[in-house]
Amino acid sequence: METAELKKQLKEQIVKFLNLLSVKPEDIKDDEPLFGEGLGLDSIDSIELIVLLSREYGIEIKDPKEGRKILVDVNTMVAYIEKHRTK
Amino acid sequence: MFYIHKTTCISPQQTFSAVDIEHLNEPVNNKFQAVEPSYEGIPPGILRRMGKAVRLGVGAAMPLVHHSTQPPDGIIIGTSMGGLEDCIKFLNQVIEYNEGMLTPTNFVQSTSNAIAGQLGLLSKNKGYNITHVHRGFSFENAILDAAMLLKETPGTNYLIGGVDEISSYNYNIEYLGGWYKKEIFSSKDLYTPGSVASIAGEGAAMFLVNDQSTGAEAQLKAIHIFQTEDIATVGNQLRQFLEKNLPAGEKPDLLLSGENGDSRFLKYYTTCETLTGNDITIARFKHMMGEYPTVSSVAVWLACEIIKQNALPQHMLKSKSPDRDFKNILIYNNYKGLQHSMMLVSKAENQ
Repeated sequence: METAELKKQLKEQIVKFLNLLSVKPEDIKDDEPLFGEGLGLDSIDSIELIVLLSREYGIEIKDPKEGRKILVDVNTMVAYIEKHRTK
Repeated sequence: MFYIHKTTCISPQQTFSAVDIEHLNEPVNNKFQAVEPSYEGIPPGILRRMGKAVRLGVGAAMPLVHHSTQPPDGIIIGTSMGGLEDCIKFLNQVIEYNEGMLTPTNFVQSTSNAIAGQLGLLSKNKGYNITHVHRGFSFENAILDAAMLLKETPGTNYLIGGVDEISSYNYNIEYLGGWYKKEIFSSKDLYTPGSVASIAGEGAAMFLVNDQSTGAEAQLKAIHIFQTEDIATVGNQLRQFLEKNLPAGEKPDLLLSGENGDSRFLKYYTTCETLTGNDITIARFKHMMGEYPTVSSVAVWLACEIIKQNALPQHMLKSKSPDRDFKNILIYNNYKGLQHSMMLVSKAENQ
Protein backbone atom coordinates (compact mmCIF):
# COMPACT_ATOMS: atom_id res chain seq x y z
CA MET A 1 0.00 0.00 0.00
CA GLU A 2 1.26 3.46 -0.93
CA THR A 3 2.06 5.80 1.99
CA ALA A 4 -0.58 8.34 0.89
CA GLU A 5 -3.21 5.63 0.74
CA LEU A 6 -2.18 4.30 4.17
CA LYS A 7 -2.45 7.82 5.64
CA LYS A 8 -5.97 8.19 4.22
CA GLN A 9 -6.99 4.80 5.63
CA LEU A 10 -5.48 5.56 9.05
CA LYS A 11 -7.29 8.89 9.28
CA GLU A 12 -10.57 7.15 8.52
CA GLN A 13 -9.83 4.57 11.19
CA ILE A 14 -8.94 7.25 13.76
CA VAL A 15 -12.27 9.03 13.16
CA LYS A 16 -14.17 5.74 13.35
CA PHE A 17 -12.44 4.22 16.37
CA LEU A 18 -12.48 7.42 18.41
CA ASN A 19 -15.97 8.44 17.26
CA LEU A 20 -14.76 11.96 16.42
CA LEU A 21 -18.20 13.38 15.70
CA SER A 22 -17.22 16.74 14.25
CA VAL A 23 -13.99 15.72 12.47
CA LYS A 24 -13.74 14.50 8.87
CA PRO A 25 -10.76 12.28 7.98
CA GLU A 26 -9.57 14.82 5.41
CA ASP A 27 -9.54 17.53 8.13
CA ILE A 28 -6.70 15.77 9.97
CA LYS A 29 -3.33 17.11 8.81
CA ASP A 30 -0.44 14.67 8.53
CA ASP A 31 1.71 16.61 10.99
CA GLU A 32 -1.07 17.82 13.30
CA PRO A 33 -0.38 16.71 16.91
CA LEU A 34 -2.86 14.03 17.95
CA PHE A 35 -2.79 15.00 21.63
CA GLY A 36 -3.00 18.36 23.33
CA GLU A 37 -3.53 21.38 21.15
CA GLY A 38 -3.89 19.55 17.82
CA LEU A 39 -6.68 17.00 17.56
CA GLY A 40 -7.14 17.27 21.33
CA LEU A 41 -7.10 13.57 22.13
CA ASP A 42 -6.64 12.33 25.69
CA SER A 43 -5.27 9.32 27.58
CA ILE A 44 -8.33 7.14 26.92
CA ASP A 45 -7.89 7.84 23.20
CA SER A 46 -4.28 6.63 23.41
CA ILE A 47 -5.60 3.23 24.56
CA GLU A 48 -8.04 3.24 21.63
CA LEU A 49 -5.19 4.01 19.21
CA ILE A 50 -3.04 1.20 20.64
CA VAL A 51 -5.97 -1.18 20.17
CA LEU A 52 -6.45 0.17 16.62
CA LEU A 53 -2.82 -0.63 15.76
CA SER A 54 -3.19 -4.11 17.23
CA ARG A 55 -6.47 -4.97 15.50
CA GLU A 56 -5.87 -3.43 12.10
CA TYR A 57 -2.12 -3.83 11.64
CA GLY A 58 -1.08 -6.57 14.06
CA ILE A 59 1.23 -4.21 15.96
CA GLU A 60 1.62 -4.71 19.73
CA ILE A 61 2.92 -1.72 21.69
CA LYS A 62 3.90 -2.88 25.14
CA ASP A 63 6.27 -0.12 26.24
CA PRO A 64 4.48 3.18 27.06
CA LYS A 65 7.69 5.12 26.24
CA GLU A 66 7.62 3.60 22.76
CA GLY A 67 3.96 4.59 22.41
CA ARG A 68 4.73 8.22 23.13
CA LYS A 69 7.09 8.35 20.15
CA ILE A 70 4.65 6.60 17.81
CA LEU A 71 1.39 8.35 18.67
CA VAL A 72 2.61 11.86 17.86
CA ASP A 73 0.85 12.53 14.56
CA VAL A 74 -0.33 10.68 11.45
CA ASN A 75 3.16 10.82 9.93
CA THR A 76 4.80 9.05 12.90
CA MET A 77 2.04 6.45 13.11
CA VAL A 78 2.23 5.66 9.39
CA ALA A 79 6.04 5.40 9.50
CA TYR A 80 5.78 2.89 12.36
CA ILE A 81 2.98 0.93 10.69
CA GLU A 82 4.95 0.62 7.42
CA LYS A 83 7.94 -0.75 9.32
CA HIS A 84 6.23 -3.08 11.82
CA ARG A 85 2.88 -4.17 10.44
CA THR A 86 2.20 -7.91 10.46
CA LYS A 87 -1.08 -7.72 8.56
CA MET B 1 -43.38 13.04 50.04
CA PHE B 2 -41.51 15.84 48.24
CA TYR B 3 -41.77 18.92 46.06
CA ILE B 4 -40.66 19.04 42.44
CA HIS B 5 -38.84 22.26 41.67
CA LYS B 6 -37.40 21.91 38.19
CA THR B 7 -37.97 19.38 35.47
CA THR B 8 -36.49 18.47 32.08
CA CYS B 9 -37.35 15.79 29.60
CA ILE B 10 -35.82 14.42 26.40
CA SER B 11 -38.37 12.25 24.67
CA PRO B 12 -39.69 11.38 21.21
CA GLN B 13 -41.74 14.60 21.42
CA GLN B 14 -40.71 18.24 21.65
CA THR B 15 -40.26 18.21 25.43
CA PHE B 16 -36.79 19.72 25.77
CA SER B 17 -36.17 23.51 25.79
CA ALA B 18 -39.05 24.84 23.60
CA VAL B 19 -41.77 22.52 24.89
CA ASP B 20 -44.59 21.77 22.44
CA ILE B 21 -46.64 18.69 23.31
CA GLU B 22 -49.60 19.75 21.16
CA HIS B 23 -47.68 18.70 18.06
CA LEU B 24 -47.31 14.94 17.79
CA ASN B 25 -44.20 13.29 16.32
CA GLU B 26 -45.06 9.89 14.85
CA PRO B 27 -43.16 6.66 15.56
CA VAL B 28 -40.96 5.28 12.77
CA ASN B 29 -41.27 1.52 12.26
CA ASN B 30 -43.00 1.17 15.63
CA LYS B 31 -40.12 2.91 17.40
CA PHE B 32 -40.45 6.22 19.17
CA GLN B 33 -36.86 7.46 19.01
CA ALA B 34 -35.95 10.38 21.25
CA VAL B 35 -35.48 13.81 19.67
CA GLU B 36 -31.92 14.50 20.79
CA PRO B 37 -30.83 18.10 21.40
CA SER B 38 -27.36 19.47 20.57
CA TYR B 39 -26.18 18.76 24.14
CA GLU B 40 -24.62 22.14 24.77
CA GLY B 41 -22.67 22.13 28.00
CA ILE B 42 -21.26 18.63 27.57
CA PRO B 43 -17.60 18.76 26.43
CA PRO B 44 -17.33 17.24 22.91
CA GLY B 45 -14.53 14.90 24.02
CA ILE B 46 -16.85 13.36 26.61
CA LEU B 47 -19.97 13.47 24.46
CA ARG B 48 -18.41 11.40 21.67
CA ARG B 49 -17.78 8.51 24.06
CA MET B 50 -21.31 8.44 25.42
CA GLY B 51 -23.83 5.84 24.39
CA LYS B 52 -27.39 6.97 23.76
CA ALA B 53 -28.79 6.28 27.25
CA VAL B 54 -25.93 8.22 28.83
CA ARG B 55 -26.40 11.08 26.35
CA LEU B 56 -30.13 11.23 27.05
CA GLY B 57 -29.71 11.11 30.82
CA VAL B 58 -26.78 13.48 31.11
CA GLY B 59 -28.23 15.81 28.45
CA ALA B 60 -31.54 16.05 30.31
CA ALA B 61 -29.96 16.47 33.73
CA MET B 62 -27.18 18.98 33.03
CA PRO B 63 -29.47 22.02 32.68
CA LEU B 64 -30.92 21.21 36.11
CA VAL B 65 -27.49 20.79 37.65
CA HIS B 66 -26.26 24.06 36.10
CA HIS B 67 -29.30 26.09 37.08
CA SER B 68 -29.80 24.82 40.60
CA THR B 69 -28.90 27.38 43.24
CA GLN B 70 -27.23 24.74 45.37
CA PRO B 71 -25.70 21.45 44.23
CA PRO B 72 -27.91 18.41 44.78
CA ASP B 73 -27.04 16.32 47.83
CA GLY B 74 -27.56 13.22 45.74
CA ILE B 75 -28.02 11.96 42.19
CA ILE B 76 -30.55 9.13 42.00
CA ILE B 77 -31.25 7.54 38.63
CA GLY B 78 -33.62 4.78 37.62
CA THR B 79 -32.85 2.80 34.47
CA SER B 80 -33.81 -0.72 33.56
CA MET B 81 -31.24 -1.36 30.87
CA GLY B 82 -28.65 1.43 30.98
CA GLY B 83 -26.62 1.67 27.78
CA LEU B 84 -27.36 -1.78 26.45
CA GLU B 85 -26.37 -0.93 22.87
CA ASP B 86 -22.78 -0.21 23.90
CA CYS B 87 -22.71 -3.24 26.19
CA ILE B 88 -23.56 -5.50 23.25
CA LYS B 89 -21.01 -3.65 21.09
CA PHE B 90 -18.39 -4.50 23.70
CA LEU B 91 -19.43 -8.14 23.94
CA ASN B 92 -19.45 -8.47 20.14
CA GLN B 93 -15.88 -7.20 20.08
CA VAL B 94 -14.83 -10.11 22.28
CA ILE B 95 -15.98 -12.44 19.47
CA GLU B 96 -14.99 -10.22 16.55
CA TYR B 97 -11.42 -9.83 17.74
CA ASN B 98 -11.08 -13.40 18.97
CA GLU B 99 -10.81 -12.48 22.64
CA GLY B 100 -7.94 -10.13 21.84
CA MET B 101 -7.25 -6.63 23.11
CA LEU B 102 -10.39 -4.66 24.04
CA THR B 103 -10.93 -1.00 24.80
CA PRO B 104 -12.75 -0.07 27.98
CA THR B 105 -14.86 2.77 26.56
CA ASN B 106 -17.89 0.81 25.38
CA PHE B 107 -18.01 -1.20 28.57
CA VAL B 108 -17.52 1.75 30.91
CA GLN B 109 -20.20 3.74 29.10
CA SER B 110 -22.71 0.94 29.00
CA THR B 111 -23.06 0.08 32.67
CA SER B 112 -26.35 1.16 34.18
CA ASN B 113 -24.64 3.47 36.66
CA ALA B 114 -22.70 5.32 33.91
CA ILE B 115 -25.47 7.95 33.73
CA ALA B 116 -25.39 8.91 37.41
CA GLY B 117 -21.60 8.47 37.42
CA GLN B 118 -21.05 10.81 34.47
CA LEU B 119 -23.39 13.35 36.03
CA GLY B 120 -21.39 13.22 39.24
CA LEU B 121 -18.10 13.65 37.35
CA LEU B 122 -19.30 16.45 35.06
CA SER B 123 -20.89 18.45 37.87
CA LYS B 124 -18.09 17.58 40.34
CA ASN B 125 -20.79 16.31 42.67
CA LYS B 126 -19.34 14.00 45.30
CA GLY B 127 -22.64 13.39 47.06
CA TYR B 128 -24.82 10.28 47.18
CA ASN B 129 -24.78 8.69 43.73
CA ILE B 130 -26.88 5.66 43.02
CA THR B 131 -28.73 3.86 40.25
CA HIS B 132 -31.84 1.74 40.67
CA VAL B 133 -32.36 -1.07 38.17
CA HIS B 134 -35.66 -2.78 38.86
CA ARG B 135 -37.21 -3.14 35.40
CA GLY B 136 -40.57 -1.36 35.43
CA PHE B 137 -39.97 -0.07 38.97
CA SER B 138 -36.57 1.52 38.37
CA PHE B 139 -37.77 5.13 38.39
CA GLU B 140 -40.28 4.43 41.16
CA ASN B 141 -37.45 3.15 43.37
CA ALA B 142 -35.46 6.30 42.64
CA ILE B 143 -38.47 8.25 43.94
CA LEU B 144 -38.72 6.10 47.06
CA ASP B 145 -35.01 6.51 47.70
CA ALA B 146 -35.23 10.31 47.49
CA ALA B 147 -38.33 10.34 49.71
CA MET B 148 -36.58 8.26 52.38
CA LEU B 149 -33.46 10.43 52.24
CA LEU B 150 -35.57 13.57 52.63
CA LYS B 151 -37.34 12.05 55.62
CA GLU B 152 -34.00 11.15 57.13
CA THR B 153 -32.31 14.48 56.37
CA PRO B 154 -34.81 17.33 55.91
CA GLY B 155 -33.62 20.31 53.91
CA THR B 156 -31.58 18.33 51.40
CA ASN B 157 -31.99 18.40 47.59
CA TYR B 158 -31.90 15.55 45.11
CA LEU B 159 -31.67 15.11 41.39
CA ILE B 160 -33.80 12.13 40.40
CA GLY B 161 -34.60 10.75 36.98
CA GLY B 162 -35.61 7.87 34.75
CA VAL B 163 -33.72 6.90 31.58
CA ASP B 164 -33.90 4.11 29.02
CA GLU B 165 -32.89 3.72 25.38
CA ILE B 166 -34.08 1.57 22.50
CA SER B 167 -31.16 -0.68 21.62
CA SER B 168 -31.30 -3.04 18.66
CA TYR B 169 -30.64 -5.89 21.12
CA ASN B 170 -33.45 -5.19 23.56
CA TYR B 171 -35.85 -4.27 20.74
CA ASN B 172 -35.26 -7.59 18.97
CA ILE B 173 -35.54 -9.65 22.15
CA GLU B 174 -38.69 -7.86 23.28
CA TYR B 175 -40.13 -8.10 19.76
CA LEU B 176 -39.56 -11.85 19.69
CA GLY B 177 -41.08 -12.03 23.17
CA GLY B 178 -44.28 -10.50 21.78
CA TRP B 179 -44.01 -7.15 23.56
CA TYR B 180 -43.87 -5.03 20.40
CA LYS B 181 -46.45 -4.96 17.65
CA LYS B 182 -45.81 -6.86 14.42
CA GLU B 183 -47.87 -4.55 12.18
CA ILE B 184 -46.84 -0.91 11.73
CA PHE B 185 -48.95 1.38 13.91
CA SER B 186 -49.32 5.15 13.94
CA SER B 187 -49.90 7.17 17.11
CA LYS B 188 -53.64 7.48 16.56
CA ASP B 189 -54.02 3.73 15.95
CA LEU B 190 -52.11 2.63 19.04
CA TYR B 191 -55.21 2.11 21.16
CA THR B 192 -57.08 0.10 18.49
CA PRO B 193 -59.09 -2.51 20.43
CA GLY B 194 -58.10 -6.15 20.12
CA SER B 195 -54.46 -5.59 19.20
CA VAL B 196 -51.72 -7.10 21.32
CA ALA B 197 -48.28 -5.67 22.19
CA SER B 198 -47.13 -2.05 22.10
CA ILE B 199 -44.56 0.17 20.39
CA ALA B 200 -41.06 0.91 21.67
CA GLY B 201 -40.02 4.19 23.23
CA GLU B 202 -37.06 5.83 24.93
CA GLY B 203 -36.27 8.98 26.82
CA ALA B 204 -35.07 10.66 29.98
CA ALA B 205 -36.95 12.78 32.50
CA MET B 206 -35.17 14.56 35.34
CA PHE B 207 -36.40 16.33 38.45
CA LEU B 208 -34.89 18.52 41.16
CA VAL B 209 -36.72 17.69 44.36
CA ASN B 210 -36.67 18.72 48.01
CA ASP B 211 -39.03 19.19 50.94
CA GLN B 212 -39.58 22.93 50.46
CA SER B 213 -42.86 24.09 48.94
CA THR B 214 -41.63 27.60 48.07
CA GLY B 215 -41.22 27.94 44.32
CA ALA B 216 -42.18 24.32 43.65
CA GLU B 217 -43.76 23.33 40.32
CA ALA B 218 -45.67 20.42 41.84
CA GLN B 219 -45.73 17.99 44.70
CA LEU B 220 -45.36 14.26 44.53
CA LYS B 221 -47.76 13.33 47.29
CA ALA B 222 -47.68 9.56 47.23
CA ILE B 223 -46.41 6.50 45.41
CA HIS B 224 -47.34 2.84 45.66
CA ILE B 225 -45.79 -0.08 43.77
CA PHE B 226 -46.70 -3.75 43.79
CA GLN B 227 -46.49 -6.87 41.64
CA THR B 228 -49.55 -8.86 40.73
CA GLU B 229 -51.45 -10.29 37.80
CA ASP B 230 -54.72 -10.24 39.70
CA ILE B 231 -57.21 -7.55 38.63
CA ALA B 232 -59.02 -7.55 41.98
CA THR B 233 -55.74 -6.80 43.76
CA VAL B 234 -55.10 -3.85 41.45
CA GLY B 235 -58.60 -2.52 42.21
CA ASN B 236 -58.19 -2.95 45.96
CA GLN B 237 -54.75 -1.36 46.00
CA LEU B 238 -55.98 1.64 44.02
CA ARG B 239 -59.00 2.12 46.29
CA GLN B 240 -56.76 2.04 49.38
CA PHE B 241 -54.22 4.36 47.72
CA LEU B 242 -56.85 7.00 46.97
CA GLU B 243 -58.52 6.68 50.40
CA LYS B 244 -55.19 7.11 52.10
CA ASN B 245 -53.91 10.02 50.07
CA LEU B 246 -56.94 12.15 49.17
CA PRO B 247 -59.40 13.82 51.55
CA ALA B 248 -62.53 11.73 52.15
CA GLY B 249 -64.91 11.84 49.21
CA GLU B 250 -62.42 13.57 46.91
CA LYS B 251 -61.32 12.21 43.59
CA PRO B 252 -58.30 13.00 41.47
CA ASP B 253 -58.99 15.57 38.74
CA LEU B 254 -57.18 13.57 36.09
CA LEU B 255 -56.20 9.97 35.57
CA LEU B 256 -53.00 9.80 33.54
CA SER B 257 -53.16 6.28 32.25
CA GLY B 258 -50.23 4.22 31.00
CA GLU B 259 -52.52 2.34 28.59
CA ASN B 260 -50.18 1.09 25.88
CA GLY B 261 -52.32 -0.47 23.16
CA ASP B 262 -51.75 -4.01 24.41
CA SER B 263 -55.23 -5.54 24.75
CA ARG B 264 -53.87 -8.18 27.16
CA PHE B 265 -53.38 -5.51 29.84
CA LEU B 266 -56.29 -3.21 29.09
CA LYS B 267 -58.21 -4.85 31.95
CA TYR B 268 -55.93 -3.20 34.54
CA TYR B 269 -56.42 0.26 33.07
CA THR B 270 -60.17 -0.27 32.72
CA THR B 271 -60.33 -1.29 36.39
CA CYS B 272 -58.67 2.00 37.36
CA GLU B 273 -61.01 3.99 35.12
CA THR B 274 -64.04 2.27 36.63
CA LEU B 275 -62.82 2.88 40.17
CA THR B 276 -62.03 6.55 39.67
CA GLY B 277 -65.48 7.05 38.10
CA ASN B 278 -66.71 8.60 34.88
CA ASP B 279 -66.66 12.15 36.18
CA ILE B 280 -62.91 12.62 35.96
CA THR B 281 -60.80 13.34 32.89
CA ILE B 282 -58.76 10.42 31.55
CA ALA B 283 -55.65 11.04 29.47
CA ARG B 284 -53.09 8.70 27.87
CA PHE B 285 -49.48 9.30 26.90
CA LYS B 286 -47.95 6.19 25.30
CA HIS B 287 -49.05 7.28 21.81
CA MET B 288 -46.48 10.05 22.40
CA MET B 289 -43.72 8.21 24.23
CA GLY B 290 -44.06 4.50 23.42
CA GLU B 291 -43.52 1.78 26.01
CA TYR B 292 -40.35 1.30 28.05
CA PRO B 293 -39.53 0.42 31.66
CA THR B 294 -38.97 3.97 32.96
CA VAL B 295 -41.67 5.73 30.93
CA SER B 296 -43.44 6.56 34.21
CA SER B 297 -40.77 9.26 34.69
CA VAL B 298 -42.14 10.99 31.58
CA ALA B 299 -45.64 10.59 33.01
CA VAL B 300 -44.53 12.54 36.08
CA TRP B 301 -42.97 15.18 33.81
CA LEU B 302 -46.26 15.41 31.87
CA ALA B 303 -48.23 15.70 35.11
CA CYS B 304 -46.04 18.65 36.16
CA GLU B 305 -46.56 20.26 32.74
CA ILE B 306 -50.34 19.75 32.92
CA ILE B 307 -50.45 21.28 36.41
CA LYS B 308 -48.34 24.22 35.21
CA GLN B 309 -50.51 24.86 32.14
CA ASN B 310 -53.77 23.68 33.73
CA ALA B 311 -54.44 22.17 30.31
CA LEU B 312 -53.48 19.19 28.19
CA PRO B 313 -53.40 18.49 24.46
CA GLN B 314 -56.55 17.16 22.81
CA HIS B 315 -54.72 14.08 21.49
CA MET B 316 -54.02 12.90 25.06
CA LEU B 317 -57.69 12.87 26.07
CA LYS B 318 -59.54 9.58 26.34
CA SER B 319 -62.53 11.17 28.03
CA LYS B 320 -63.13 14.62 29.42
CA SER B 321 -65.14 15.62 32.44
CA PRO B 322 -66.71 19.06 32.88
CA ASP B 323 -64.21 21.85 33.54
CA ARG B 324 -62.09 21.12 36.55
CA ASP B 325 -58.69 22.47 37.48
CA PHE B 326 -55.96 19.89 37.41
CA LYS B 327 -54.92 19.93 41.05
CA ASN B 328 -54.51 16.23 41.73
CA ILE B 329 -53.28 13.90 39.01
CA LEU B 330 -53.30 10.15 39.50
CA ILE B 331 -50.75 8.30 37.37
CA TYR B 332 -51.37 4.60 36.93
CA ASN B 333 -48.90 2.56 34.94
CA ASN B 334 -48.08 -1.11 34.62
CA TYR B 335 -45.10 -2.78 33.03
CA LYS B 336 -45.72 -6.04 31.23
CA GLY B 337 -48.93 -6.61 33.18
CA LEU B 338 -47.04 -7.40 36.35
CA GLN B 339 -45.34 -4.35 37.85
CA HIS B 340 -47.95 -1.76 38.85
CA SER B 341 -47.28 1.78 40.02
CA MET B 342 -49.58 4.51 41.28
CA MET B 343 -48.45 8.05 41.88
CA LEU B 344 -50.30 11.14 43.00
CA VAL B 345 -48.89 14.39 41.63
CA SER B 346 -50.53 17.52 43.02
CA LYS B 347 -50.37 21.25 42.66
CA ALA B 348 -47.88 22.59 45.21
CA GLU B 349 -49.49 24.28 48.20
CA ASN B 350 -48.14 27.71 47.29
CA GLN B 351 -49.33 27.62 43.65
